[in-house]
Formats: sequence, structure tokens, C-alpha cells
Amino acid sequence: MPRIQLIKILLLAVVVAAMINGGMELYKHRHYQLPIVAGPGVTKVSKLSEYCEGIKGTMADTNVFFLEGREPGGKMLIMANTHSNEPAALLATLIFMENAVVEKGTLILIPMFNHSGSRNTRPGDGYPLYFEIPTDWGSKKFRMGNRDASWLDQWPDPDVYVHYPDRQLLSFIDTRNTNRTWPGRPGGPLMERVTYAAMQIIREEKVDIVIDVHGAETMFPVTNCIVAPEKSMRIATMTTLTVKAREKFDNHVEPSPSGFRGLSHREIGDFSDAMPFLLEAPIPFLDQPTGPKTVELLLDGKDPFLLSLSKKGLLFVPYDETGWPIEKRVGQHCSVIQELMRQFTRKFPEKTIAVQNVPKYADVVKNGVGYYYHNPDETDKKSVYFN
Amino acid sequence: MQIQIGIILVVMIAAYVLAKAKKLSVEISMLAAAVAGGVAGVFVQTPPAGQLARHLIEGSFTYLDVILVFSTATIFMAIVNESGGVNYVVRVTIKYFYNLRIIALLLLMFIILIPGALTGAGSVSLLVVGAPTALALGYLGIPNRKVAAILFIVAGLSAAAPPVNIWAMITCAGTAIPYVGFELPLAIPVLILGIFTMLTLGWKRESRMDKQAVLQEMPEVPAKMSWWRVLLPFLVFFGLVIAYRIWPFDVPILGLPLQFVAAALVAWLLSPKKINILKLSSDTMRRLLPLLATMVVVGMLQQIMTITGVRGMLSYAVISTPLILLFISLAIVIPVSEGVLTYGAAAILGIPLIWFLDSIGLHATVALSGLSLLWPLGDGLPPTALIGRLSVMVSDYKGSYWSFLKSTWLPWIVITVVGILMVVFSAKLDFLVRWSM
Repeated sequence: MPRIQLIKILLLAVVVAAMINGGMELYKHRHYQLPIVAGPGVTKVSKLSEYCEGIKGTMADTNVFFLEGREPGGKMLIMANTHSNEPAALLATLIFMENAVVEKGTLILIPMFNHSGSRNTRPGDGYPLYFEIPTDWGSKKFRMGNRDASWLDQWPDPDVYVHYPDRQLLSFIDTRNTNRTWPGRPGGPLMERVTYAAMQIIREEKVDIVIDVHGAETMFPVTNCIVAPEKSMRIATMTTLTVKAREKFDNHVEPSPSGFRGLSHREIGDFSDAMPFLLEAPIPFLDQPTGPKTVELLLDGKDPFLLSLSKKGLLFVPYDETGWPIEKRVGQHCSVIQELMRQFTRKFPEKTIAVQNVPKYADVVKNGVGYYYHNPDETDKKSVYFN
Repeated sequence: MQIQIGIILVVMIAAYVLAKAKKLSVEISMLAAAVAGGVAGVFVQTPPAGQLARHLIEGSFTYLDVILVFSTATIFMAIVNESGGVNYVVRVTIKYFYNLRIIALLLLMFIILIPGALTGAGSVSLLVVGAPTALALGYLGIPNRKVAAILFIVAGLSAAAPPVNIWAMITCAGTAIPYVGFELPLAIPVLILGIFTMLTLGWKRESRMDKQAVLQEMPEVPAKMSWWRVLLPFLVFFGLVIAYRIWPFDVPILGLPLQFVAAALVAWLLSPKKINILKLSSDTMRRLLPLLATMVVVGMLQQIMTITGVRGMLSYAVISTPLILLFISLAIVIPVSEGVLTYGAAAILGIPLIWFLDSIGLHATVALSGLSLLWPLGDGLPPTALIGRLSVMVSDYKGSYWSFLKSTWLPWIVITVVGILMVVFSAKLDFLVRWSM
């Protein structure tokens, strides 16, 4: 056999081996099931497809958890993993899920709102496939997802995304971004059906407050904040002032721009009676000028390049050698959500939402995130759900 | 950490240089750089050894959508060409506009601008209308080298032109700036620079033939070829693109690849001569393979650069440059980033740059429009050189790549100056955004 042919065969064998190895890793990631423990407050578990037939049997369908209080009151919907590469949102929502006991009103939780995105990776951006949170009983393993839904679930993209119903032109990528497809429609692309289903929950269940939990880069001006439209502004402002005074962390308010369509904090308010809020906690991992995209960077948020940029005044959040550990980010979300509840209850006492047993910022920073998760292997199987 | 990343960068460069020294192709050399960078990274667990194959494979899918568009669009144009449609269009253009030079040049400019403006991809302009316009420009007495230069610059401008500018859209998506108000800040410079390019590179008739002699020299077209046979496939393609814009909530999303396939089928069915579609497709894909390989390998390279921290370090170097130096360096940094990362450059440099420029009081929309004029220039630079290579391919220029690139120097410099001035004076040009809304 000529030498060149031999080399070609050898190279082909190497490529095939790499494809099988790499492909298997990606396949396992897409099919990894995350066990979620429904805590004592969970009274009902539903599927998003019950609110929009069009997502039934697809990867977009996801669990919806109801935590109904002993007494009636207001209703709050919390959504995480709208962008599945911003994990503090999911981690905070699971703390509510596993621990919250609702006394008045109702909490509705969708921990993996863009379920397809949570099973997607981000080609070109070198994300880790998983990350683990240490707990008292071992570590809990999570999938690291992507900002957008997977091509395997929604394809093809148009050459440009025309937002429904405003006809604003958005990037083609945003067709798969569940924070650009609000308010959605039942017959639209899959991600428009996902947001439509959430709108149906909000309308049918008469939800009063919707909280969409996110993370944003430290170089992004809209970070470490609550984004709120006009109707939610007062409660958002009172919340930031209160957490700063009582819990000693900074958090500001950003107005929801009326000219930028498709975002939850804009469309939910415009297309329902609910008050929307979007929470952003800093996530250094998503900044462009960082070192390697490792699990450590994702969880501790320490990076020498960001530290240098911080000293030059180029970041929008305080940043030092301690980085932005996941405990701070998750703790902030827990406290801000509870403060939004409290401020809403003060303004509308007839719609009180009273929740117990959820830690605040200082508790999460002190105990760690994993402290609040229960071992699914030692939990009644009826209370373990998979997402 | 900086030293560790620096060493990995040196390893990647060394692997690329070594591969080139061994006379391996650009694609193989880039693959060598990606693999070497990944292996070097494994020593410091970025990536962990068990994840290297996954990163390489995952990265290779980064530009799958672009690859599908290139493949289907090129097969479509190959069918139009094989059917005699391209020769027919050129013959008609020469017949009616041979002596009305300025009208002919502007007409050809708009023909190149439209497909790219609608799809955001200069490559689509070249793949769809590049060959016939190249032939027409050639018969207007413009040498092949300058024809390739015109195609490259105008196709690049078409990608920057509104309504679809992918660099701006990607940056807007990442910075939460609405993609609105870009019409005039993009359209005005694109039109002015397009006309400037056509006139500076195409005004001089360097060879003159009698019109009848030109028509006689041109290849024969099949007797049954007619306007409707040429136009209908294009009408199907643009009809499908425009239909989604007009009725976005009623027309199903087909995507550019399927739209090109539909147009290709129509072109095949209408061809006055029999075309072996399987052989033609297979030959076309073989011709396109180096370009597709480049896209695959650039994705791998991008992923390895990210996981090793090289990408972040380069992004940091740009962001932390002093302001005046930053403005000047845009002339180099933006095109080079496009040459290495193609549209990925908008995410890696565009997002932090726009945040930074916005924070110092510049107008994000106008500044981003200015940057959008610079990015397409990088499509002529290695390692990818996507639009440059396509321009050379469709214009059938046989000289060296660098001689083609050198002939673009005047419009290149003017575009660079205009783009940078738009960034620097973006706050003063904000009326363009207001007038667009």
C-alpha cells in the first residue's frame, strides 16, 4: 500500500474515533436527566404542554411546579433557565422548590423554562458539559446548557427573525431565544409556543407577578439589577433600596425599553395584567475577555483579565480577587425574589404571598448552595421529578 | 494564567507555521493549530484530556448553517450557469448597456448589493449573481483582477447593508441593544462607498472591443433560453425570502438552504438543455470543498481558542487598549478578527467593544454601523478569506491572491476611514438613527 494511502487511512481512523468519542459525550449530555426533588410545599406538578398543545411530545416540554398556600392570596410565577447558560437562576429556583412552604398565595415554578436550551451546547464557545454543586450528601450534577434552544428541536432558522406581533427585525439566532419570543403564539416556531404556554399560565392562573431569573456579564451595563417596565417600577425600586439597606448588597433598577420587543419584562406586562420583573446577577463566565471557560470560572467567577479590567474601571459591578462566587449570585436571587414578594404584599395586602423556609443572601453565602438540596436517592420517589 | 495562555498561543502559531512550511493547505494548517492548541491545553486541564475530542467535534459544527447555505446556493448557481442562463444575462446586459457605462456599473452594483442586503451574507451575493456580473464587468473592459476586487468590496458592503446586517444583529443580541434605527447609518455609507468603488475600480475601460465583436466572442446561449427561464428561479428564491418578510406569521420558515434548493429545482426544470444534476452537484461540492473545510476548521479553532483562554486574552488585549490607540487599531483588529473568526468576531470583539464605547458616551447604533463597514474587509484576509476567495473563484481570476487583494487598496482605505470616523463621531451622527425610526 502506498505510504500516502496508509497515512490517509490512519488519519481517517483517528477522525472517526474522535467523532465517536466526542459524539457520545454530546449525546449523553442531551439525554442526561437531572433529578429534582419536590419539597414539602409542592402541591401539584403539571407540564407546560398542558397550556399549549403544540409543545406536547417535544424537547420543549417541561415541568411546572405549583406550591399552593393554605390560604388564598396573590400568585407569583418564577422562571429559570430562560437562558440555560446562566445557572444561578436554576440553582436559586431549586432552593425555592425544595424548601419553600407557602402560607398564603401560590408560587408557580418553572425551573427549566427553555428545556431544549438546557440540553443544547454552544459550538465555538467551549462550555463545559456539566457542573457540580457540593452538598452534605455528595455533589449534585447539572447540565450546562445554552442560551438558545437546540437546532435538533427547532430548525431551520429564518434569515432574519420577525418578532410576533410587532414585526421588529431581530437576529435569526433569536428565533430560538425564549427571551425574544414573547408573547408567543400557539402556531409559531417551537420557542414562540413555549412563551405562549407561559403566557397562558399567566392569564389562566391569573398570576400577579412574574419573575424571569437571569445572569449577565460584568461588562454589560444591565447587570446586577432588576429590569422592570413602568407598571413594576415602584416595587422594583423599593426592593433594591431595601435589600441594600437590610442585606448589604447592591442591586439597581433598569427600565424595560419599550422599543425593544420580545423580552419577558416588556411583553408580559403589555399582554397580561401581571407585573413582570427580570433579575440579573453577574456571571463572569459569560464575559468575552476571560481566561479558559472552566467549571471553576463558572462557579467562583474569578478571572485575572476581569480583575485587570475592573481596575481600569471597565466593569459595571464591583470586582476583586474573590470574584463573583455562585453563592453570592444565588443568594442575591433568593433575597431579591423574597423582597419582591414582600413589597408586592405591602402594596396589595389582599393578594398577600407569604412564603417560609427559604434562605436569604447571607444564609446562602454562609452555608453554600448545596446545603439546601436534598438527596434524591433518599427521597420518596414520588417526590423526585426529572428535567 | 496569562503565561500559560501565552504559551498555548505560541504553540498554535508554531503549528500553523510549521504546517505551512510543509506546504500543507490553509485548512490543514489551521487544523494543526487547533489540535496543537488543544493538546497544549490538556497539560493544564483546559480542556481536560477526556474532553478534547468533544471540543474539536463540537467546534466543527459552529458554522453548519453557513455551510448549508454555501452548498445549496452554489449548486443553484451552477445549474443556472450550466443551463446557459448566466451567459444569457451577460449578453443582454452588454447588448443594451455597453455604451452607457455609468448606468451599467450602477446597475451591476445594485444587482450585487440586493441578495447580500436581504440575507446579510456577501457570499450569497457572489454565489447567486457573482458569475454573471463578473462576466458583464469583464466585457465592459475591466480586467479580471479589478473585477474580483469590485465583487469583493461590493459583496462585503452588501452584507453590511440594511435590512439584514448579521454583525450588527449578533452584537445587538449580545448587548441587548434593539436592532432598530440601523437603516440610514448603514444604507448611506454603503451606497456612497459602493458607488465610489464602482467608479474608482471600474470607470477606466482598459480594453475596448467593438460591441458586435464582444457579442460574437461571447459564448453561445441555448436557442430556447429566454428571460422567464432565467428569471423564474431567482423570482422563486427572492419570492420566498420576501414572502416571509411580508407575511412572517403565515409563511412557514423554510430557511435559506431550502429556499435555494427550491430555486435550484425550478432552474433545473426550466433548463433548455438536459443537465445531469447528480454529476453537477457532485462536481460543485468538490469545487467548494476547500471553502467548506475552512468553515469547519475555523469553528474548531474558535472552540479551542475559547477553552484554552486564547480568545479571551485577545479580547482583553483589544478592550484594554488606550482609547486613541483603540480607534486607530480598529483598522487592523476588526478585519483581522473577521478573517480568523468570521461572524464569531462580532460576538467576541463586537459585544465588549460596544459596551465599552457606549459607556464612554458614544452612540452604540452608529458606532456599530461603523464597525459593520470594517468587518466585511476581513472576509478577504486569511485564514478564512471567504468572500475574497469566492470573488476570485466567480471572476475566474488566475493571478495570485495577493495581487487581487492589493487591487482593493483604495476602496479598502476609504471604507476603513469612513468606518472609524463613524465610530469616533457616532454621538454627533445620532440624527441618522432618529431619522431611521
